[in-house]
Amino acid sequence: MKFSGEIAVKAPRESVFDRVQDARFFASCVEGVRNLVEVTPTRYTARFETKIAYIRFDFEVVVEVTRAERPHIIEARIEGKPHGIVGRLAANSSATFTQDGDDTRIQYAIEASLTGRLGSIGQPVLKSKAKDMERHFVQNMRAAFPGGVAEPAS
Amino acid sequence: MIPFAWDEPKTLSEAVNLLDPDDPTVRPIAGGTALMLMMKAGVFMPSRLISLAKIEPLYSEITIDRAGAVRIGAMASLSKLERSGEAMEAFPLMKRALRTLSNVRVRNVACVGGALAHGDPHMDLPPLFAALGARVSVIGPAGKREIAVEDLYTGYYETVLQKNELIAEAIVPPLNGARASYMKITSRSADDWPALNIGVRLEKDGTRIRDARIVISAATEKVTRLSKTEKLLRGASPDDRSLAEAADVAAGEVSFLSDAHGSAAYKKELLRVCLKRAIREALS
Amino acid sequence: MNQIGRAIPRLEARAKVTGRADYVHNIRVPGMLYGKIFRSTVPHGRIRHIDTSAAQAIDGVHAVITGEDIRAIIREPYFGPAFHDQPILALEKVHFVGEPVAVVLSPDPHIAEQAVQAIEADYEELPPVFDEVEAATSSAIVHDVLRPAGTFADLKHLAGRKNTNVTLDYHLRRGDVEKAFAAADRVFEHVFRTGQVLHVPLESHAALAEPGHDSLIIHTSTQTPSFVRTEIARLLGWPENRVSVKVPFLGGGFGAKVYVKLEALAAALALIVRRPVKIALTMEEQFYTISKHATTFRIKSGVTKDGQVTARACEVWWNGGAYADIGPRVAQKSGFTAAGPYDIDNVRIDSTEVYTNRPPAGALRGFGVPQLVWAYESHTDLIARELGIDPVEFRRKNILRDGRPHATGTIMKDAAIDKVLDRLAERMNWQAPFDRGNGTLKRGRGIAIGFKASISPTTSGAIVNVSADGSIVLYTNTIDMGQGSDTAMAQIVAEVLNVPAETVKVVHGNTDVAPYDMGTLGSRSTFHMGNAVRLAAEDARAKLAALAAEVGLPVRTNYDVKELFRKRYGMQAGNMIGAGTYIPRYTAPDPETGQSDNVTPFWMIGGTGAEVEVDTETGHVRVLRLVNVADAGKPINPKICKTQLSGGAIMQLGFTLYEDMVFDGGQVTNASFADYKIPGFRDVPVMESELVAAAQETGPFGAKGVGETSTFGVSPAIANAIQDAVGIRLTELPIKPEALLRALRAAEGRPIEEDS
Repeated sequence: MKFSGEIAVKAPRESVFDRVQDARFFASCVEGVRNLVEVTPTRYTARFETKIAYIRFDFEVVVEVTRAERPHIIEARIEGKPHGIVGRLAANSSATFTQDGDDTRIQYAIEASLTGRLGSIGQPVLKSKAKDMERHFVQNMRAAFPGGVAEPAS
Repeated sequence: MIPFAWDEPKTLSEAVNLLDPDDPTVRPIAGGTALMLMMKAGVFMPSRLISLAKIEPLYSEITIDRAGAVRIGAMASLSKLERSGEAMEAFPLMKRALRTLSNVRVRNVACVGGALAHGDPHMDLPPLFAALGARVSVIGPAGKREIAVEDLYTGYYETVLQKNELIAEAIVPPLNGARASYMKITSRSADDWPALNIGVRLEKDGTRIRDARIVISAATEKVTRLSKTEKLLRGASPDDRSLAEAADVAAGEVSFLSDAHGSAAYKKELLRVCLKRAIREALS
Repeated sequence: MNQIGRAIPRLEARAKVTGRADYVHNIRVPGMLYGKIFRSTVPHGRIRHIDTSAAQAIDGVHAVITGEDIRAIIREPYFGPAFHDQPILALEKVHFVGEPVAVVLSPDPHIAEQAVQAIEADYEELPPVFDEVEAATSSAIVHDVLRPAGTFADLKHLAGRKNTNVTLDYHLRRGDVEKAFAAADRVFEHVFRTGQVLHVPLESHAALAEPGHDSLIIHTSTQTPSFVRTEIARLLGWPENRVSVKVPFLGGGFGAKVYVKLEALAAALALIVRRPVKIALTMEEQFYTISKHATTFRIKSGVTKDGQVTARACEVWWNGGAYADIGPRVAQKSGFTAAGPYDIDNVRIDSTEVYTNRPPAGALRGFGVPQLVWAYESHTDLIARELGIDPVEFRRKNILRDGRPHATGTIMKDAAIDKVLDRLAERMNWQAPFDRGNGTLKRGRGIAIGFKASISPTTSGAIVNVSADGSIVLYTNTIDMGQGSDTAMAQIVAEVLNVPAETVKVVHGNTDVAPYDMGTLGSRSTFHMGNAVRLAAEDARAKLAALAAEVGLPVRTNYDVKELFRKRYGMQAGNMIGAGTYIPRYTAPDPETGQSDNVTPFWMIGGTGAEVEVDTETGHVRVLRLVNVADAGKPINPKICKTQLSGGAIMQLGFTLYEDMVFDGGQVTNASFADYKIPGFRDVPVMESELVAAAQETGPFGAKGVGETSTFGVSPAIANAIQDAVGIRLTELPIKPEALLRALRAAEGRPIEEDS
């Protein structure tokens, strides 16, 4: 599963970078993330719970920030284990920050794969949920910065 | 599979009372064809299932009322609907559509209520019923309410129904001279989940289209009415030019789902081509 | 002949439709435990730790077993027909998503399944490789060291090799291909691809192992009981006679159930816990067990301007997945037919099988030939069209005829290629003009012809037992998996012993009682086992004649067999046993040139004609008519042969238009019939099947194999018909409406945009 897009916010690049790099802020933009624990400054664990209709998903997640070059780019690797079912969620994400006048453009790209039962038969449901999450994430990001504009690519 | 509790209430109101508005692991089950797939995938693990198999038999009945509307009990199987002579005579289109809905073993077990309540955008009955202007009668703890089928769906598997509401009946208004068609387009085998569903209902006034209902699904996340396209067609003469225009508007009116049945761009092309065909078929 | 050529109904038909036929899934024995498998969620990695404690603590769980537990009782727990590369349960590494890592045992299968979800494994991930061309030179190495089994002499040189994903590279050299290309009037080169697909037999794999004191009974859904016995005995270090393999009917095999699949696991578990253990896979698990090779085939031909093919170079890459299984054989045995049934002086073939981090690929109906025919018959049509020569005429000009040497040097015999082509053209009415339509629906027609060599050398044995009342039992380890082998073998016995075929009882799939058989695969049984059965029946007949002489019955009188036994034993007692074994002659191909003067005991020839309709606005392809013409020698049972032809064609139709394993990060994402679509009743076109008049001189009563024949030509015939209809050539399977529409629109200059 691949997602990519661009969010433009009216704020200088350094401050946008700093906020996005703040794990607590970032987690607050993703619906369903709870119990965020900082293990090291670049490694976090969390619980991720979400649902579609009456179907619940529950993952134990580990996030590893693999690259952070202020103010250009942040890359992270996410690994998740679904609760009570064999499977694995693995995602690589990157965000690049570009100054464009008063705006900062955040270009994001996420490549995720799901293995195990959820991945073998549950794909269509999860893909739909992932798109839904992307929409909400973009909205939350925009709302966090004053007067933002956002247009997901897909 | 983790063991779960199984109830068999004798009445619909008993079933409603057994459902829990706050617990998503308690679900009603009719034919179970869709729910069972989700359980097999490990995506849904119930704590309790409320079987509707033993509720009042009147909920399996199919009748035509005085106004000519077909009233279908939610527990009527798809096979029963397919073979209900009178009702199908009033809607030969429905009979044809049912024949290509999944396979006969599924149709023998799956029920109309479940087919409408499940909310998977690939299913046939929702866009077909929505195009025909059907509505459902819903029973909950607060009583009864009616919802147009086109207003039932809010997203993938998501409906406006509360967790303790059940569809009791579907009511399909008579055509009264209106023309209708339904198209299901698959990319692989004939019994595959479709890449695109199109339901069309047109009322004519001489050579012009007086009213149009155009509903698509499968290529979109939920059953979607193409209101801009309908607006364009209203009052228009269904010639090649207006149909081509309608096709373009339709293609621009929604955003398409990319999946195993085709890319978003391909589904857009399918809609462009098949909308014209569906309208022509309705008018023939 | 009385019994040969009779279209009798299958002997077991009534039992099957009334639910009385036996299948492994139905067997229950006292004390039986069910095993459910915990599988890898990473495509390539080292196992750091497996935590089974939470699973073990669940009420009702009898035991949780890992690879290390198995290594404690089987020192070298690796199996496989070509390489001993597959561990019974993963050891040290996992090589694909879905690889079995641990098993939960419980008397309740639901508890076992629930406990599987409680197992946790920690892997150190390694870079995976999924594409076959990439894998041939990739630095992502799937197996640290190669371990050929020693059963196949031509793989010995690979022992101990490291840093490679190549499991077999087969080479054939004939003449001078480069010189011929330089001299040719035209040179054509194309690349074709096929995807990974599955057998999906309706009955998934199942095995039940019952431990004795120092013996083992394995009930299993297998096509190769003798091989299973040999391999299990080898793993345990036991003499073969302590392992019994029993096989009832199979609900389909198609190559999915050859060699060892679940048997080693069931056996090891049963011996560890000392209780019967049954493992039965779900349909989803089929997708992690065995599949058909995805391939890339680059084919290049040098041609004279009047359409004579003078040279052909073939480069084939086979995607073997994480374990070799019988893949190396596919690359070699089918590899040597890669140039097609054509008379070409200069041929070069390089056929390479590689490991990747996908589920393993092995034998699937056709054994690699359909993928090759897809390429060479598409290529042939492209050349013919380019040169302005009719596709049938072009083939007539170039096909191999009896008496001419094949690319391996073997002289063709009893291969009715020209007859199949002629009959195909006749049935397709090829001479008559064809209406291609002039609206949005365009029609086209295409033909294709392919061939396969029977695997060699292989052995089959049979026993015929005539009872005191004259009733007959045949013992054979050829397995009836729905192809009608019981019926065909009964007809052979009946012909020799002059009884109605319906009266012969067939006991199959019992290694304690029936003799060795190499396997029910590769369409070899009618020929090899059929010859053995014939020899066994003739042996019984000769012995009865000798007995008749002994008891003083006049020679050549019509005597009742009952009389014979009564005279000899004084009452209705005794029996007469006839035995027969058959192995054909064979010359192994030279490892450098692939040349051999006797590379196969028989050839299978299959041709397909297709008429299609293309919806040029949506890309949909409808197959209106499919014609299968085959050379299967003289059919023992024409009705069964014809259903084999239509069945094989339907299967290949699925691979052509609908089926494809879709992967994401190494995970199969469509592992169910809801999302992996096989043809249904409404997809099957009007079908015609014909067997040309032919005979296999060395076969039993002129017969030879037919099970795979109709799979060869289906895919290219359809692609050729599509090109005939709309001028578009698709080179990848499966053929998708979207791909066709995109190609059509691109050709029109109005391309469809890509998804952003």
